[in-house]
Formats: sequence, structure tokens, C-alpha cells
Amino acid sequence: MKKLLVFIIVLAFGSSAFGQTYNTFEPSKTQFMLRGYGHTGFEYMDSGDETESTFLGSAFAPIFLYKHSDRLMFEAELEFVLEGNDLETGLEYADIMYVLNKNMTVRAGKFLLPFGTFMERLHPAWINRLPNAPLGYGHDGIAPSSGIGVELRGAFDLGGPKLNYSVYSTNGPRIKDGSEEPEEAGILKFENYEDTNLAKAFGGRIGLLPFSDSSTEIGFSAYSTSGTGEEDSEFEDIGAFLYALDFSLVKQIPGLSGIVDVKAQYNSSNVDTATFIEMHEDGDEEEYSFDNQSNSFYAQLSYRPTMASSDFVKKLELVGRYSDFNAPEGAEWEEKSTQYAFGLNYWLSWRSVVKLSYQTTETEGGHDGDGITNTNGLFLHWAIGF
Amino acid sequence: MKIVFKLSIALGLMVAFGLTVVACSSTKDKYTNVPADTVAEASEEFKIEKSGAQLWGETCNRCHIAPSPADYNDTDWETISLHMRVRANLTEHESKKIEEFLKSAN
Repeated sequence: MKKLLVFIIVLAFGSSAFGQTYNTFEPSKTQFMLRGYGHTGFEYMDSGDETESTFLGSAFAPIFLYKHSDRLMFEAELEFVLEGNDLETGLEYADIMYVLNKNMTVRAGKFLLPFGTFMERLHPAWINRLPNAPLGYGHDGIAPSSGIGVELRGAFDLGGPKLNYSVYSTNGPRIKDGSEEPEEAGILKFENYEDTNLAKAFGGRIGLLPFSDSSTEIGFSAYSTSGTGEEDSEFEDIGAFLYALDFSLVKQIPGLSGIVDVKAQYNSSNVDTATFIEMHEDGDEEEYSFDNQSNSFYAQLSYRPTMASSDFVKKLELVGRYSDFNAPEGAEWEEKSTQYAFGLNYWLSWRSVVKLSYQTTETEGGHDGDGITNTNGLFLHWAIGF
Repeated sequence: MKIVFKLSIALGLMVAFGLTVVACSSTKDKYTNVPADTVAEASEEFKIEKSGAQLWGETCNRCHIAPSPADYNDTDWETISLHMRVRANLTEHESKKIEEFLKSAN
């Protein structure tokens, strides 16, 4: 009887101990993660005739990562932004990637284009050191941000220096012919989700990190297409060639007791000359054309005193940025803009930052008219990555 | 004092002469050929490799502040490492070493 009792006790407690020992919830082979970022803030804008101030509705950008194996992954980013009284949604990217070998990965779907580095690597609110993008990016910008297609990318270790590359083909941009928005005739629209012609865009970027500490990167990007108009339209054979030069330097400098971060990018857009129609108020039509060349540039310098003795000072960051944008002469959207931005950031953690910024922009031409407009803005933004 | 001085001069001259003879003597024809694979092994053995922590500081800071290892578990870091390898065009070596460091320090 005693032996039976001992056997039952050992069986009962033993099996429970065994279960607790081995039921350790081992990670599954496939993994799913939700990451992303969000930001909110306050803005005050003064353009001389008009002043406005507003709290900004939160923007929320969840990123979905699904790791199927050590080589296969799916990534997608949604974007929810309160714009005016509407909720705008967008699919920033959604692509599948497969690591072919140690130097080559293939991606397919909608992906961020490596045209320079700003849109692919630096634009998220918790990474961008200032509350907004430099001139030449975003709506009516000349730098493409994403495309639908296929891409090969990878990197090589050159025994100290490193080289990274990317080549891709996408549906390509569509030229605005002015039939819907006459004031934007000739602008390339990159959000071309359904191709309207047989011409595809081809592009790529090559980046060189010449020093073994990876502190410096120099990149060259190109993007070309032989047709931007709809098939069988007069714009079908209007081609475009864009290129960008980018530079990055991030280095801890003991003499300055902190990290210096320099970023710069030059974008150039050259679209074949086309003829557009201008409608006058009296109903008359007039044909016009212009040399469709645009360019933009930005250079940004930031400094974080990471080696300061004070914990408060360590979390501060000073940032300054110059940017300009030149749209073609003769276009309805002809514009020359220059912007100076200065900021003071406070890093609550490595992925949460409060940004106070002052920006002054001088615009000649543009959508607002032919004169010169000076706009000053004060921004207070709070961004968090997760 | 004079003897000490003379001995010092003599010793100095002998040392200078000896060093000159040794320095000018060539032993090039007496070198032993070392097989190429042995040289390769030796250089591999003495190659100074960057640690994952060093790569983490250098690489992540190129775009954003380097993340705290404690913010994610090992499984999450595996997913993030693969994502960042492709997004930032890192080499396989960089992403593996950084992942190993993050998993060891969280």
C-alpha cells in the first residue's frame, strides 16, 4: 500500500514538474511583429497676410513584419493621418522579400524606392530630426518615394569599406497632362499603382562606405523611364530621367563631446518637353511648352552632446537644415523656394523625441501666385517609434 | 676619470659599429619560404574583428539612435535584424553580429 501511495505521489508531482520544466513556450519558427510609429503636435504659421495655428491630429503608422523563415519575410506599413476633417489612409509599402544569398535579396510588391536616402531611411517621424521633410519631397515633390515592382539589393564587405547596391523596375510615374489640374501640367505623379502604358521605370542606387567605421556614406541614384503618358496618348513617349546624390556622415567627435550627424541630398528631374493646353477665362485655348527640369537640395547638420556630464544635456539635440526647390520656368507650377529650419530636440528615449523647430521659407511663384511669399512657422512635435 | 671617459667612448663606438654591421647585413637569401595557406591561417588568427557592440553603435546610428537591447526579446530581435538588414542594406556579417550582441545584452 505504501509503495502504491509513493508511486501515485511521484506520478502526480513528477508529471506536473515535467510539464513545468519542458513547457517553456519555445518561439515558433514563424514570427509576427507589430511595429511602427506615431506623432502629434502643434503648429503656428505666419505667411504675412495669413496666420494660423493648430494642434495636429495624430498620425499613426503601424508596420507589420512577418518572418516566415531566416530568408523569407513580408513587411507592410499602413498610414493613418487626420487631414482636415477627414481620416486619410495609405499603404506606404507592402512587399515580400527573400534573401537569395549573403549578397543579394529580392523584393517584390510596393516598396520604398532607394532614390537617395531620405525617403527610404530617414523620413519616419521618430527618425527625421525635424518635424517635416525638406523642400522637394512629399506632395508635388520631385523625388519618388515608392513604387510597385521588383528589386534586387544587397551589400558587400570590401575588407573595411562597404558597398551596397539596389536595382529595380517599377510601373513608373505618370505625367499630369493638365486635363484635371491645369496648374500642375507636367508634374510627374509617382503614385501610379496601375500602369497605363508598356513603359516601365528602371532605377537603382549604389552606396559606398569608404571607411571601416561606416561613418561616411556616399550614394548615387538614378531613375529612368521611356514613357510617362497613357498608351496611345500624345504623352506616351514623354520620358524622364532623374538622379540623386546623397551624403551621410555620423561620427562621435570627442573634441565636441558628442555625435555630429550630417545628411545631404541633391535631386534632379529631367522630363522630356511636352505641349500642354492653357485655358483662358474667355474660353480660348493656348498651347504652351517649357523645359521640364527641376531640382532640389537639402543639407542638414545635427549635434547631440552624448558625452556631456549632465543627463539632461545628453538628451538634447541641436539641428539646422537648409533646403531649396526649383521648378521649371514657364510651367504653371514654376517655383523657386528656399527654406531654413532650426530645431532643438529632446530625446525621451532612443525612439521618442520632442521637437521644437522654427522654419522660414521664401517662395517665388508656386501654386500661390507669381509674387514672393515669406512663411514663418513654429512647430512643436512629439514622435514615438514602437 | 679619463679612463672611464675613454672606456665609454670605446664602448659607444663598438655598439655603433656593431649596430651598423647588423643593420647592413642582408639575410634576404636566407629567408625560408612559407606556404601561402600558412600565411592565410596566421592572418586569420590575428585578424582584429569588430565586436557586435561596436557594429551596433556604428551601424544603427547612421539613421537613428542605436536601440536599447532590453527593449525586445531574442525572438523579436531576429525579426528586426532581418528587416533592418534589407531596409538599410547591411551586410550579412553586420546584421548577424549586431543580432548576436542584442540577444546577448537584453
